[in-house]
Amino acid sequence: MNQPVLAVEDLRVRLRTPRGPADVVNGLSYTVGAGETVAVVGESGSGKSVSVLALLGLLPARVATVTGTARLQGEDLLAMSPDRLREVRGPGAGMVFQDPMTSLNPVLTIGRQLVEGIRAHGDVSKPAARARAADLLREVGLPDPDRALDRYPHELSGGMRQRVVIAIALSNSPSLLIADEATTALDVTVQAQIIDLVEKLQDEHGTGVIWITHDLGVVAGIADRVLVMYGGRCVEDGTVDDVLERPAHPYTRGLLGSLPDLAAPVGPDGEVPELTAVPGLPPPPTDLPPGCVFWPRCPVRSDPRCEDEQPPLAIVSRAAAGAGATASGTTVSGATPSGAHEGDRAHLPHRAATWCAEGTSGTGSPAVAGTSGTGSPSGGAR
Amino acid sequence: MSIQPTPGPPPYQEPDDARRPETPEEPPGGSPQRETQSGPPSLRPARPRWRETLSLLAHNPTAAIASLVLLFIVIVAVFDDTFASEGANDISVDERLQSPSWAHPFGTDDLGRDILSRVILGASVSLKVGFFAVGFALVAGTLIGLLAGYYGKWVDDVLMRFMDMLFAFPAVLLAIAVLAVRGPGSGNTALAIGIVYTPIFARVTRASVLGVREEVYVRASRSVGASDWRLLTRHILPNAAPPIIVQTSISLAFAVLAEAALSFLGLGTQPPNPSWGLMLAEGRGYIELAWWLAFFPGMAIFLTVLCFNLLGDGLRDALDPRQRTLMAGGGK
Amino acid sequence: MFGLVHLVPGDPVRLALGTRFSQETYDALRERSGLDQPLVEQFFTWFGRALTGDLGVSFRSGETVTSQIAERLPATLTLAFASILVALLIAIPLGTVSALRPRSLVDRVATVISQFGISVPDFWMGIVLILVFAGTLGWLPSGGYVPISEDPGAWLQRLLMPALVTGVVSGSVITRFVRSSMLEALGSDHVRTAQAKGLGTRQVFTWHVLRNALLPLVTVTGVQLAYLLSGVVVVEIVFSWPGLGQLALQAVEARDYPVLQGAILLFAVVFLVINLIVDLLYTAIDPRIRR
Repeated sequence: MNQPVLAVEDLRVRLRTPRGPADVVNGLSYTVGAGETVAVVGESGSGKSVSVLALLGLLPARVATVTGTARLQGEDLLAMSPDRLREVRGPGAGMVFQDPMTSLNPVLTIGRQLVEGIRAHGDVSKPAARARAADLLREVGLPDPDRALDRYPHELSGGMRQRVVIAIALSNSPSLLIADEATTALDVTVQAQIIDLVEKLQDEHGTGVIWITHDLGVVAGIADRVLVMYGGRCVEDGTVDDVLERPAHPYTRGLLGSLPDLAAPVGPDGEVPELTAVPGLPPPPTDLPPGCVFWPRCPVRSDPRCEDEQPPLAIVSRAAAGAGATASGTTVSGATPSGAHEGDRAHLPHRAATWCAEGTSGTGSPAVAGTSGTGSPSGGAR
Repeated sequence: MSIQPTPGPPPYQEPDDARRPETPEEPPGGSPQRETQSGPPSLRPARPRWRETLSLLAHNPTAAIASLVLLFIVIVAVFDDTFASEGANDISVDERLQSPSWAHPFGTDDLGRDILSRVILGASVSLKVGFFAVGFALVAGTLIGLLAGYYGKWVDDVLMRFMDMLFAFPAVLLAIAVLAVRGPGSGNTALAIGIVYTPIFARVTRASVLGVREEVYVRASRSVGASDWRLLTRHILPNAAPPIIVQTSISLAFAVLAEAALSFLGLGTQPPNPSWGLMLAEGRGYIELAWWLAFFPGMAIFLTVLCFNLLGDGLRDALDPRQRTLMAGGGK
Repeated sequence: MFGLVHLVPGDPVRLALGTRFSQETYDALRERSGLDQPLVEQFFTWFGRALTGDLGVSFRSGETVTSQIAERLPATLTLAFASILVALLIAIPLGTVSALRPRSLVDRVATVISQFGISVPDFWMGIVLILVFAGTLGWLPSGGYVPISEDPGAWLQRLLMPALVTGVVSGSVITRFVRSSMLEALGSDHVRTAQAKGLGTRQVFTWHVLRNALLPLVTVTGVQLAYLLSGVVVVEIVFSWPGLGQLALQAVEARDYPVLQGAILLFAVVFLVINLIVDLLYTAIDPRIRR
């Protein structure tokens, strides 16, 4: 049980565009344990969606070059044969997409779309698959599932459609569920229902979940761990409490600043700068800055190295001292042993790729502390 | 039937390439950003964009070559008297049906007339008819489209119903019907073709106007009391222009084709004036004896039509806002 | 509901053109037979008769217009359906292949082919084909029409070239539609959902791409068929094909207004009927329009 469901290491995605190659994902590493929810946060264009589409080989091969490793239960998704990958899609990893209005085929019935997924992974008779499909719809809380099987997507509301999409994703009991902005297009009450649903299913099946969103409210509600992406890089990750309450990276702080109710209850020792919104736009992936990707927009800029050097992802604090003793600050993979057990979560290192970190618990990252004379207080000035 | 006015939706609304799924600019899973790319511009775009258009066009080799060839054809047509040898309509029985040679690169016809010269003269006839026809359709159609789109309600209903009626009719037959009423000849041919293509311009214009009418800047101008005429000419028309320009190029292609077809049927340009379609009809009888009679005028039609079509495609690529963002704009 | 909306614009077509030609008919008729009725009344008389299938008598031949049209109808129907068959045989594979590999060599070649097909004057292409296949090679007759009931072999031989010419032209138009609707289908979100389910490539393509992409094709094919049925005048002339287009042209030349009027009425009806069929077909295959 100690093995994570998914271990992504140094994932890189480069897309060919008319304006030259775009580095959309640059060295992303994380793990997802069984029953764990990892939230990937960032504004649009930060590479969140691309990073998960790359895992399942859903990017067009002619334009996308994907490197790194992504072990789903020990098996590298990125090195798989197309046939094996097809087998893994479904039972290995299910995916829920952003827009329930478009992610179902409008001209096929709901039942057909569920049944074809079930029958693609096992020798199931049509009636049996249909019965299973009805069970799934019942499980995701669709009223009158038997009749719903013969309906077309346009006859259902957005929330109901998203339930169907979730049912499709769950139809082969995947060990990993990837939800790509799954609730963004829905209204708030439906959103809450869907989140509850996923949590319930997760508890029952022990599914690992990657939840991609730009909604920090959702993150606070469901995530065990948070990974903040910016410009295709992970700029900060850690437990949900660490990242949301003691954000270290200026970008994360900017994001949180733009969220009213989370900006207020900041940890007693860390003053979060009052950034109501992060001004500017993310850098185009065809033209990333040489240093910290956030430098062009950074309101802090307390360390001149950020302009030309890429700050490493280093540990900024250990919430409960002692547990992370073996973690080395710079190697990315070794730092997260496993998130499988409830008890361990508190001990996960909190890391950020910045020299501007205000170590909330007083100690800066061991790896960078020696050289960084961070002008920590200056951040709050404006 | 090649002369039909591209049935179905107007060609402009088929942004082939802008919708390519693997467009890397917008990675799959691509997020709310999509709206900012494909949605209508919320601010009024900068006015002098012809320069940008021109440079985009220059980067498209097919369209660039097509425009050069067209330029050449137009120059030849304008200075047809200089290029064609004298007396192209003069009959010379001694020289009839000669195969291509140095003296007559395209050969001579059954009356001993130099085919090259007649093709050159035919260019000016074909283009004249084409330009007049499209000019008529452009002015009439744009005006109708503007009025219908801008005033809406019953004006829209009446005008567009009438346009639909015309549009629903097979193009060649409509032209034949007009010519049946008005009699054959170049002028009437131009008018007939013009009438046939008017509905397309009306539709394209109306669609653009409807798209632009409720834009912020138009409402803003209206709120400061700009007159209808000023709104139409200064704000709405320039923004409706790109699809109209594209449509103009494509319609020129079809107008040249239609003129040739009508002349071929004996309803268009009348002998002894050379017109490509007419020459084809005359050459048809000699096809097994002297292939060059029909071949060269046909090539001329084909080349001209092809170039107008290619230019139209190039213009669409260059003027389509989506395509524009893709090549020059911000993206991620 | 939808069908009705489509019916409306067609109806005035018939009215307006009926009126226009009634004017001419009126003049001609007065000249020839001294009839002197008010225009409107005459139109309604004609229209009333037309409803009962009586389209009047040809000035030129003295036959009834209905019988003349009936005589030409088989040839036109044959050519139209053969052409649309050729067109689809060209368009679906070509459009699909180029959509699957956009910007590739195949796509470029396909684009060039369809561009050529749209730009080539059909009558010229017909003449060149006659020159090559009837003249130089002598494989096929240069024109004419033989009913299939008389001699299927001769029927096919004569049908081949005209169907190819009109089929290439229509096919080029359809190819572009296939390509763009296929591209749209390929890029739509539900295709990704289907892939993420772990479906095989073929299954994804057949049920989630092709099936959706072919829906708009019904409309385009219908429009093309309507144009083909209304007589490809020029091609009929080139191949001496005794269809409705030829009849209409002869009527124009002879100022035979009852025939022209009848032919135009028929085209309008054909147009309406095709639109109706397309609407019905669409309702049957696209669940979104149902009910």
